[in-house]
Amino acid sequence: MHFRIKDGVTLDLLPTKQFKTIGIKVDFVAPLQATAITARALLAQVLETSTAAYPTQTALARELSRLYGASFGISVLKLGTKHVIRLTCSLVDEQYLDNFGPQQPLFEQGMALLKEVLFAPLLPQGNFDPATFTQQRQNLLTAIKSLDDDKQYLANRRLQELLFTGQPTQAMSALGDVHVLNDLSATDILGTYQDMLANDAVHVAVVGDVNAERAQAAIADWPLADRTIADSTPYYRWSVRDQVQVGDDEAPVVQAKLNLAYQLPIYRDDDDFMAAVVFNAAFGGTPLSLLFTNVREKASLAYYASSGYNPFTGTLSVQTGIQAENQQRVTTIIAAQLAAVQRGELSEKLLAEVKASLLNARLAALDSPQRRLTGLLNTQLTHLHEPLAAWQEKLAAITVDDVTRVAQKVTLQATYCLHGGVQGAQ
Amino acid sequence: MLSKKKYDRLGETVYQTTLANGLKVLMVPKAGFHKTFAIMTTDYGAMDNEFVPRGQHQSVRFPDGIAHFLEHKLFEKKDHDAFDLFGKYGASANAFTGFTQTSYLFATTSHLKENLEILLDFVQDPYFTAETVNKEKGIIGQEIQMYDDDPGWQSYFGMIGQLYPKEPLHIDIAGTIDSIDRITADDLYAAYNTFYHPSNMNLIVVGQLDPEETLDWITANQAGKTFAPNEPITRVPSPQAQPNEIVAATTRQLTVSRPKVSLGLRGFDQVPTGRAGLRYSVAVSLMFDLLFNDTSDNYLRLYDANVIDDSFGYDFQVQRGAHFAQLAGDTDQPEAFAREITAILADAATQLAAAKPQFELVKREAVGRIVGAINSVEGIANQYDGPLFDDATIFDELTILEQLSFEDLLAAARDFLAQCRQTVYTIFP
Repeated sequence: MHFRIKDGVTLDLLPTKQFKTIGIKVDFVAPLQATAITARALLAQVLETSTAAYPTQTALARELSRLYGASFGISVLKLGTKHVIRLTCSLVDEQYLDNFGPQQPLFEQGMALLKEVLFAPLLPQGNFDPATFTQQRQNLLTAIKSLDDDKQYLANRRLQELLFTGQPTQAMSALGDVHVLNDLSATDILGTYQDMLANDAVHVAVVGDVNAERAQAAIADWPLADRTIADSTPYYRWSVRDQVQVGDDEAPVVQAKLNLAYQLPIYRDDDDFMAAVVFNAAFGGTPLSLLFTNVREKASLAYYASSGYNPFTGTLSVQTGIQAENQQRVTTIIAAQLAAVQRGELSEKLLAEVKASLLNARLAALDSPQRRLTGLLNTQLTHLHEPLAAWQEKLAAITVDDVTRVAQKVTLQATYCLHGGVQGAQ
Repeated sequence: MLSKKKYDRLGETVYQTTLANGLKVLMVPKAGFHKTFAIMTTDYGAMDNEFVPRGQHQSVRFPDGIAHFLEHKLFEKKDHDAFDLFGKYGASANAFTGFTQTSYLFATTSHLKENLEILLDFVQDPYFTAETVNKEKGIIGQEIQMYDDDPGWQSYFGMIGQLYPKEPLHIDIAGTIDSIDRITADDLYAAYNTFYHPSNMNLIVVGQLDPEETLDWITANQAGKTFAPNEPITRVPSPQAQPNEIVAATTRQLTVSRPKVSLGLRGFDQVPTGRAGLRYSVAVSLMFDLLFNDTSDNYLRLYDANVIDDSFGYDFQVQRGAHFAQLAGDTDQPEAFAREITAILADAATQLAAAKPQFELVKREAVGRIVGAINSVEGIANQYDGPLFDDATIFDELTILEQLSFEDLLAAARDFLAQCRQTVYTIFP
């Protein structure tokens, strides 16, 4: 069920008795701007910490515990040309609780808490509390730096920077940039906060045993005004480069991480979108895939070797963990797999298997309240609503020729290797 | 006989039986779900590296990492790989090895019967040769090295190694490059024949299913196979470190942005057997919640002093023959981190008494966590610990939690804390 609450503010309700919880998601969607990414990430962190009524994280945490361990969080993500601040809250459906007693149902209490977080943050002097602000800025700073402790993440981040040199919105992580962060003040993010409330597209969604009346009533008193949302494309389009960007860093790692990025200029609204999804699943997106089979199972060169496809940025990426001295062999095997698919050498057996696997994954996602909620953003950004039956039909119709046509559009753009030096392990 | 246990308030039912060959089967139908998740587990893990092979009389010490190696190799058959069989139906399959268990699993939204048969057949039909065993050494070698670069993993296992310096737990579950190099096909058969007897295994199936029909499929599949007579398994108890042999503190250097501290506590008290063990486990976990979770006064104090931040977390686990806690986080003040947590634990009796008003709160939170896990077929299946807690399921755990009193918590906390030993493992940049 879809409702327009205000101009630019929508509510989606997925009523079901399948779950013992009620899930809520609120997305604030803004155009992706390099200057705003970091401030929005910090704002999310500060809003998550406290509110006027719950002025410390302990006070807020106790309120969440009182609501039977409501899980609550604010995260940020990038999707194509959009930046999203996402609030999520999951509450137990009290019909499954012992001795719940006479009080408002947990869904209504959870919505009231989200309202508090969004519209009554801790602003003692009309600005964010200085101690909280400074501490959370520091925490975000260390969190961003700690991400690099994960060498797979680090290799992927460096690959993105290489691929999108000179295109900061795409090169930057959704958490922003440490140098920008250092210079942000409480006043800066107060402006970001006011801008978000006034101008972002707002998409609220609820999944669980809740009817339309309750869902609408719970959001009716949120002070959100009408807003004009420019209908700009969510797709990031970019020109292919003649030269493959090559990067390589030495770091004290035992296992080398070899990552590759390609352009695959097929977006979510393209007729070939489904074929691109199937191509990725066959190439490296599943354990049945060509990369997994040939790099890992046949050549024993890696523990992981997989690919990912982003239909909002038109990119395909490959991740592997290997011995540094095998880099050339692995690169050759990956290139050979792509070339084979481009020549139409995809077996009917593998095609059928990856289609079955994609269908399985799509149906399985219906069993996860979180995935039911997060899946809605795609529809909201693309205005493409595809019922399951239509989706299944499209999937079933994909042929080897379709996959071949998609594979021929794949162009290598960047390769990056994080390794432990010539000697490898230290 | 298929026994049936209903949990009325939750609207859930657990069906359970033991087949003639000893295989225990649990089923939990989930109305409205599209997916079915099945997991088959043997009570055998990385800890069990010395035992009397079935049919022999002398105990044998096997190379470290053998349970995990066996898990990898079980998928590969003479002319096919079990992964591919699941793949035909689009099911996703996987496996994992822990200290005391090895599990094989799949999730599917169609062809449950076929997928169940694939699972039972590949787990119950080993095929190991010198050639296939040698090929796997490269893959597992890469897996070991991947974890070498994972600071969180290194921090966790570094801590465990200090808590269990003489026990097999101090070695990585996957073994070492050297130890796996010594594994032979005969070793794998010896381990397989000893621990993969149906009487040492269980199968739990959760999700879209009809219990009677599903059991018929499983029974028919098992009836078509012959197994050796059931014999008791003789594991050689591993050497045990004395409390005074626990290494108090170690540091190590890795490429991390900030120091990582892992404070471990090894229990030397006797965990009660059966369901009482689960009650003990729930109670000690709640004790840690009261002392350290984000509703505690300690948390705010340490957070505001920048001793801990959002990376702080803790975990208590009970396994066959071992129970321990980890409190860990990234911090610029690793000494203060260890000092403060040690002080809180030393003062636990007073602190817990003072935190009594928060008891209902942390209990509610734990209840919410369990109810949330019941939403997921994996959540239900993975919470089942088989013989360890006398076949208790997540629904039993919820009942135990709801009935737990503050006095129960204090008693378990006293038992654990009075005899536990502490270690601190710090990784510096």
